[in-house]
Amino acid sequence: MAANNSIEWRAVCEKFRLAQELSEIESKKDPENNPFRSKYKARDLLKEIHCSLKKIEIEEQGEAGDEADCESSQTADGEPEDGFEKTFTGDSAAGLRAARLAVLQYHLGVNHIETEELSAGELHLMVCMKLIDKCTTTRENVSLFIHVRNQLGILWAGRDEIEKAQGFLEIAETMYLVYMKEDGQPPLDLQDFFVPEGEELSQQEKIRRFEMAYTHTLYYLAQVYKNLQQYERAAQYCHSTLQRQLEYKQFAPLEWAINAATLSQYYITKTRYMEARHCLAAASVIANLAGEIPSEAAAKESEAESEKREELLQKRAEIARCWIKYCLNLLQDAKKLLEDNIGELDLDRQDELKRARRNEEEEKEKGRKSAILFGSSDTFDSICSLEEKVSSMLPLEFEEARSIFLVGQTYVTQAKEYFAMDGHVTDHIEILQDHSALFKVLAFFEEDLERRCKMHKRRVDMLEPICKDLNAQYYLLICRQLQFELAETYYEMMDLKLAVADKLDQPDVHTIKKFNHLCSSSMKYYQMFLDSTRSPEGKFPEKLEDDLLRPALVAKFRVARLHSKLISSNLATQMENLSLSLESYNFVVQYCEENPEAKNAVETELELSMEMVSLLPLKINRIRSTLASSK
Amino acid sequence: MASVRVAVRVRPLSQREKDLSAKVIIQVDGQITSVLSTKENFSCMNGELSGERVKSFSYDFSYDSMNSTSLNFVTQEKIFKDLGTDVLQAAFEGYNACVFAYGQTGSGKTYTMMGNPGDYGLIPRICEGLFHHIGGVLQKDKASFHMEVSYFEIYNERVRDLLPSTETQGCELRVREHPKDGPYVDALSRHQVQSYTEVGQLMQEGNKRRATANTGMNNVSSRSHAIFTIRFIKAMFDGELPSETVSKVHLVDLAGSERADATQTTGIRLKEGANINRSLVTLGIVISTLAISPADVNYSETLNTLRYASRAKNILNKPTVNEDSNVKIIRELQAEIARLKALLSAGNQMPSFEQPSGSSVEERLHQDEARVQELTKQWASRWKEIQTILGEDAVALRKEGIGVVLDSQIPYLIRIDEDLLSTGVVLYHLKEGITSVGAGGTKPEQDIVLHGEALQREHCVFENQRGAVTLVPLPGARCAVSGMEVTQPYLLSQGVNIQLGKATMFHFNHPQEAAQLREKRKSGLFVPSNSAAFSVETFSDFRLWMPFLQKHKNRNPVGFDALIKHS
Repeated sequence: MAANNSIEWRAVCEKFRLAQELSEIESKKDPENNPFRSKYKARDLLKEIHCSLKKIEIEEQGEAGDEADCESSQTADGEPEDGFEKTFTGDSAAGLRAARLAVLQYHLGVNHIETEELSAGELHLMVCMKLIDKCTTTRENVSLFIHVRNQLGILWAGRDEIEKAQGFLEIAETMYLVYMKEDGQPPLDLQDFFVPEGEELSQQEKIRRFEMAYTHTLYYLAQVYKNLQQYERAAQYCHSTLQRQLEYKQFAPLEWAINAATLSQYYITKTRYMEARHCLAAASVIANLAGEIPSEAAAKESEAESEKREELLQKRAEIARCWIKYCLNLLQDAKKLLEDNIGELDLDRQDELKRARRNEEEEKEKGRKSAILFGSSDTFDSICSLEEKVSSMLPLEFEEARSIFLVGQTYVTQAKEYFAMDGHVTDHIEILQDHSALFKVLAFFEEDLERRCKMHKRRVDMLEPICKDLNAQYYLLICRQLQFELAETYYEMMDLKLAVADKLDQPDVHTIKKFNHLCSSSMKYYQMFLDSTRSPEGKFPEKLEDDLLRPALVAKFRVARLHSKLISSNLATQMENLSLSLESYNFVVQYCEENPEAKNAVETELELSMEMVSLLPLKINRIRSTLASSK
Repeated sequence: MASVRVAVRVRPLSQREKDLSAKVIIQVDGQITSVLSTKENFSCMNGELSGERVKSFSYDFSYDSMNSTSLNFVTQEKIFKDLGTDVLQAAFEGYNACVFAYGQTGSGKTYTMMGNPGDYGLIPRICEGLFHHIGGVLQKDKASFHMEVSYFEIYNERVRDLLPSTETQGCELRVREHPKDGPYVDALSRHQVQSYTEVGQLMQEGNKRRATANTGMNNVSSRSHAIFTIRFIKAMFDGELPSETVSKVHLVDLAGSERADATQTTGIRLKEGANINRSLVTLGIVISTLAISPADVNYSETLNTLRYASRAKNILNKPTVNEDSNVKIIRELQAEIARLKALLSAGNQMPSFEQPSGSSVEERLHQDEARVQELTKQWASRWKEIQTILGEDAVALRKEGIGVVLDSQIPYLIRIDEDLLSTGVVLYHLKEGITSVGAGGTKPEQDIVLHGEALQREHCVFENQRGAVTLVPLPGARCAVSGMEVTQPYLLSQGVNIQLGKATMFHFNHPQEAAQLREKRKSGLFVPSNSAAFSVETFSDFRLWMPFLQKHKNRNPVGFDALIKHS
């Protein structure tokens, strides 16, 4: 680089430095009504540098400009591209010249994109890419090679052209791997092209920036794969990103923690609870690095403290919610394994699983663990000790289930502190729904029917008052969910009462009353659910919306069943109940006749309803004739 | 209830686009909006060469506003007629409505929503429509109206009041939810309005405060999402009762770009397209207006905007409920149906006897009631009630002297309980066909489940063939009739005692046989039973009402709950 120390060159370097400063520091202070002022200034400087470079090039080589004049920065590189042929080596003089021009094109591209001129930005990036594609990839241009593809990746992802984004990012990824394998020396950073001799970045800084660019590639790829619904790969890339961020200490604690907590949710869906727990424990520990939560008093004093307090509390509450899901799913997955075909604990299966666990699990977990660790020495112990507080193995008996339940419940309390009903209705209720689900699944492990029933009672107690208070005009969906869940909970309690009565020799009048009450409550909530689909004039829709179709018909079906379950010693009442039951079965049948497309949604229920519609009248007639004859 | 409508509108070429000698690549035809891929766009990226040259999208409405001199030019007025009228309708009926504008920076969203003086857009026209309607209704009905407006913007994820009071001046507001009143912006000022002029003034005042900027793409680029909300309260007497409907109309002008903010702060985030915090807007009728540029230079952005529509349609798709499985109910019902069917066929064919399975609690409940009634002193005074309870059972009680006589037509077993404290009498009917007996725990469950020493899970069966009842001991089961051990099928006769296992005792009664025997004794003749004498009606004493037929299991398998959506 002959011109490295000329006055002219120093002026170019100074301009470049100024452009960087304007773009990255000054621009943050730009006024709202002129938000890109500094960016535009930077752009002008970059264009000037581009002209200077061309001039230097012509002077040095004494050749005619082969690429038109400095205006070329405004237009696409129209030259036909001759495939993959490499014209220069990256470290040749021509290669370096090309790279230097490409760095400028890169910055111009990013500048246009940041000022919302996406198409123009894209053109500059493409020019940049073509310039370096003429050269072999070396220490001099490998960093730019990755940076420009990262930018094109984001650009196309933003336009929802995910496959295009994927193409750029995967090439960047491969290039990093190839370079590290074949060379591995600290590569030149983009900035190194525009500094006077002797002011290049340190080796460590070069490495840091290069690794960061690659971390970004991985992070973008994670999102690209997620959008392509390749979840397994997306998770893998997320995990690597998080690991690398810790390793190179390039992370914002809260953001890192939230990403790790989110990743845990993926592992949960794959029943990889050990990984999920590791993510969550790491999330909790790293979130604490974000600092102490300012006190309420401090928050009142200053807006900055208030904002910080709000943010910390919110993120921690969100991590707590991820923990709740962890506990809940662990329990539910265990239940799925342990239940028989009618949802009861299968004792043989339980024994079998206990034996299997003793033999295998521990060995397997050990092997899996090393690959996924978030290895940062200073936080490692805290993460481990947090992990020890809750099992990552599927619980196989009540005591194990209970300890997971209790951890979940602690996080429920924690999450509710921030997501209070006052102000956070939707979130608060979602947490309550999880709490209810925790009780529901714990009940599965409980053998004692009375205690089981009490667990369901707790669910009713927490959901019922909220269901009453909530305005369906604003929270229609939640109201429906609550109504349905309450209806089902009462149904379960009714079944349990029956099973308890089954064990007693003589169910008394009180039991029967209680039973009828539970039936009626269940019916009441199913009815409320059904009523929520009515028009303001009170008309039931002729055609149910798709997402309501099955729930509504199931609700009708259950109401029909419940009507015929009510106990009464009075024949007339019996007859009335059965008639109401018939009416509801009939509704299901009629609806499906009028809307044949509904049949698939409720196949079994429809079949049974049709049978009942044909058979119930027989029952009703008998009672009628008995009634008639007893008069 | 909620419905979504999507319209797309194409603006004229801008000066900037003309300067770049941009070509028009959009065509509007009926509901269809088409984009032409230009050659440059093809050469730009590999892999698209094989793609079609024209991409077409269908919407509820497609508006061509490219050339004001053209016959096809769609005016502000036309757009209001198509979209605004629905919004007004919703407001009067008490629904919420929401109009969104979405599109690239400088594609004309604000023009469509707000318009210019003398060429007003949707928002002012909707307001005008509300007042116009009120004027009409006021004269007809005795309704009264109350209208409030608020206006705020979301800029860099911060909420600011665009019509601030002294308290909200310069403050960042928080979005909160109230259980009764729904989502709201805390401390946001609301302004009561009486006339359209007032609304217009407030809107202008807010627009001035709104963050707009001069950028290369648009010299008045909106930097924020702006949400103008009209709360519309209609109060009237419905007969004697006061009635009040509240509806909200949200008119949302989304900012052209959020991306710059995102990359500036973290540099490592892919931001999803514009999305308004779910809690801000209560969706009723939703109208999305897509605004696009006709120019080739904006090809990719335009395509992205047009695709947004398919996502817009999906905004509302959330799972409704997570339901428990119906497995258990289905089984219960299947059993009941089977029983009813058996009964029906029995009624039509033979004097066979449907009989209950002995273990269900429902039956025991009924039997218990029978027992209680039977053994209580007040039973005589409650004769009628007992009749009703027992009326549908296969047993009848009748008083004879000081005793109680239990009449049944079906062969049955009476349990002789050794427990001295037991006061009840348990009666098991033996239906036509097979009745299985045992300690239970089998699949399918035994018809009569007994608890006692030396009882096998499947102990024996009683076979009722046209009234002839045979005891069939199963291998290894201890059975005795009238004190004699039996291992082979044994035909039972009226009045014998049966022992199963070590200590479970039954008395066997065969009412018809007994009656026949009595007849025979009286007349000296043997009268065979006359099957023709039985019809469905004569079986009115069958047990039909059986809510709890199966062993009750409590829980159902649950679907895998959806994972959390936040973060």
